[in-house]
Amino acid sequence: MAQSDKLERLMNLTAALLHAERPLTADDIAERVTGYSEGREAFRRTFERDKDELRQLGVPLTMAPIPGSYPEEHGYRIDRTDYELPDPGLAPDELAALRLALQAVRVGEERGDGTEALWKLGGLVGGGGEPAASTGVPGELASLPPDPSLVPLFRAVTERRVARFTYRAASGSSPREVEPWRLDYRRGRWYLTAYDHDRGDERNFRLDRIHGEVELDEPGTFSGPAPSSPDEPDEPWAFGEGDAVTAVLRVDASHAGLALDQLGAHRVVASDDRTTTFGVPVTSWPAFRSFVLSFLDHAELVEPAELRADLVTWLEGIAAGSPDVGGAG
Amino acid sequence: MSRSLTAQERLRRMLAIVPWVAGQPDGATVEEICQRFDLRPDQLQACLDTVFMVGVHPYTPDALVDVIVDGDRVHIRLPDFFTRPLRLTPAQAFALLAAGRSLQSVPGADPTGPLARGLDKVAASLGPGTPAAVEIDLGDASADALATLQRAVEEDRRVELDYYSYGRDAHGVRTVDPWRVHAQQGQWYLDAWCHASGGRRSFRLDRVHSVRLLDEHFERPDDDGPTEVFRPRPEDPRVVLDLAPSATWVVGQYPVEAVEERPDGRVRVTLAVAARAWLDRLLLNLGPQADVVEAPSGLAGAGPDAARRVLGRYGG
Repeated sequence: MAQSDKLERLMNLTAALLHAERPLTADDIAERVTGYSEGREAFRRTFERDKDELRQLGVPLTMAPIPGSYPEEHGYRIDRTDYELPDPGLAPDELAALRLALQAVRVGEERGDGTEALWKLGGLVGGGGEPAASTGVPGELASLPPDPSLVPLFRAVTERRVARFTYRAASGSSPREVEPWRLDYRRGRWYLTAYDHDRGDERNFRLDRIHGEVELDEPGTFSGPAPSSPDEPDEPWAFGEGDAVTAVLRVDASHAGLALDQLGAHRVVASDDRTTTFGVPVTSWPAFRSFVLSFLDHAELVEPAELRADLVTWLEGIAAGSPDVGGAG
Repeated sequence: MSRSLTAQERLRRMLAIVPWVAGQPDGATVEEICQRFDLRPDQLQACLDTVFMVGVHPYTPDALVDVIVDGDRVHIRLPDFFTRPLRLTPAQAFALLAAGRSLQSVPGADPTGPLARGLDKVAASLGPGTPAAVEIDLGDASADALATLQRAVEEDRRVELDYYSYGRDAHGVRTVDPWRVHAQQGQWYLDAWCHASGGRRSFRLDRVHSVRLLDEHFERPDDDGPTEVFRPRPEDPRVVLDLAPSATWVVGQYPVEAVEERPDGRVRVTLAVAARAWLDRLLLNLGPQADVVEAPSGLAGAGPDAARRVLGRYGG
């Protein structure tokens, strides 16, 4: 029955700290909470483990000065507002829809976090078992890749905490300090949109280029995102630094539909029976070069002249079969 | 859930179950609690036996969690604690919002349906930055094509696709038996049996120009598990490339069959070439970062040949 004893003790400890009107010292807890064994050393060891377990669950167990104590003493407390989930008032069909979403979409490698979120919101409602089992269709409609920076950055966005991390860009690794505004999943990758303190401007970061731990400041260390700009870059060649140049790309009619899908109709500058011409803002030339070359000989980079010349040099290097021709940037 | 639960697994559930049952004016049945919180009746019983001793000093009846089991109904009355569940952790909130926003982003999703409403309520209750914290775009697909294909999958109906084969750089019409529609790595795919090639294939939905639902039904095979996006065939020719360190992303992106680190820091890989245009694109993209070490005679000059063809457009 050890598991039951431990469950009882952890719940008693949580209840005591939620209920108490002032922070409780370790002595108070040893005296008032049932489930701890006699003996100071045994109590201390068990209490240390219990604190860790509660914190792992997300219980906001903190230390605070005890009012009126002199000399000032500190005690343990659980702040009710930090502990209690505000009731979002979900209707049964809304709870069922959220459950369906968790069955259809796999986020990272495990499903436990989403399920536990549902328990807290009222439990698993509707459906159940294998979705669409009658058709034999596997229930998983989509999966999103995991990334170790996702949860810390999500926390930074929701709690408005300034974040610091090391970022690998084409120009090398550098420490960044940002106000995280939004996480985006596009084209199979996770991105962070944030205000970069050192560069004094909005920037997009690829999460797979964040190296090591993300450090977070206290909640509320920035006031909120600027109004989002209407034209969010979601193309790999828009993630370079510096000013954009407008590249003019002419695509054969046979492949114009493919280019249109990727670039969007608002980028079309001219079109006739034989070709469609696009104007595309580019900040990362290697990424755009890959895109242009994916059309093989069905497209031509018309402008700017220097990128066109660079592309020709790149191709001549390959045509010559020499491994030693330097690539542009 | 056949094994017995650890104390922490029980605690996670009980901190949610206790407030929920206490909030039901008429209590709840054992069956409903077990369904909602993923427990067996005996596991629930063991937890309730414990909870009924939980409380605060001085542990008098008014300071204890009051659990009444009346037949198959459970009632809980609380002192002033455990009246609300514990807040969501950032990982839990993220998992829920990311899954919900993903499903909401599927073309054709109802923007004012139960999922949209539920997500808005959850996001609003979490924190000032939460409503706009996560945006998901699973990939490009037309709502019509997606809806038609999902219907075909559900009804086991054959379809005809107008499809652009990127690997072969060719347009064509395919008749397929659609098995499954899914999104991964930023793309929507249809897994299907392709009658033209006599094999299982994955089709990218952004390369499907139109879908026609046919009247014929098909028999779903017993083994229709996940289709790999690309599966090399034994008869495909192989090329051996040396990749510069900056190009080793190729190893993660394509099914390479052998990987060997070279003394000069390069990486030697063997790749199956299912389509010539695919190899052309890869070599043009990599440029000086890749050297062809071995290739069958038909593919030996692939990179330079492709480069010369493209240069033809630039007056070269």
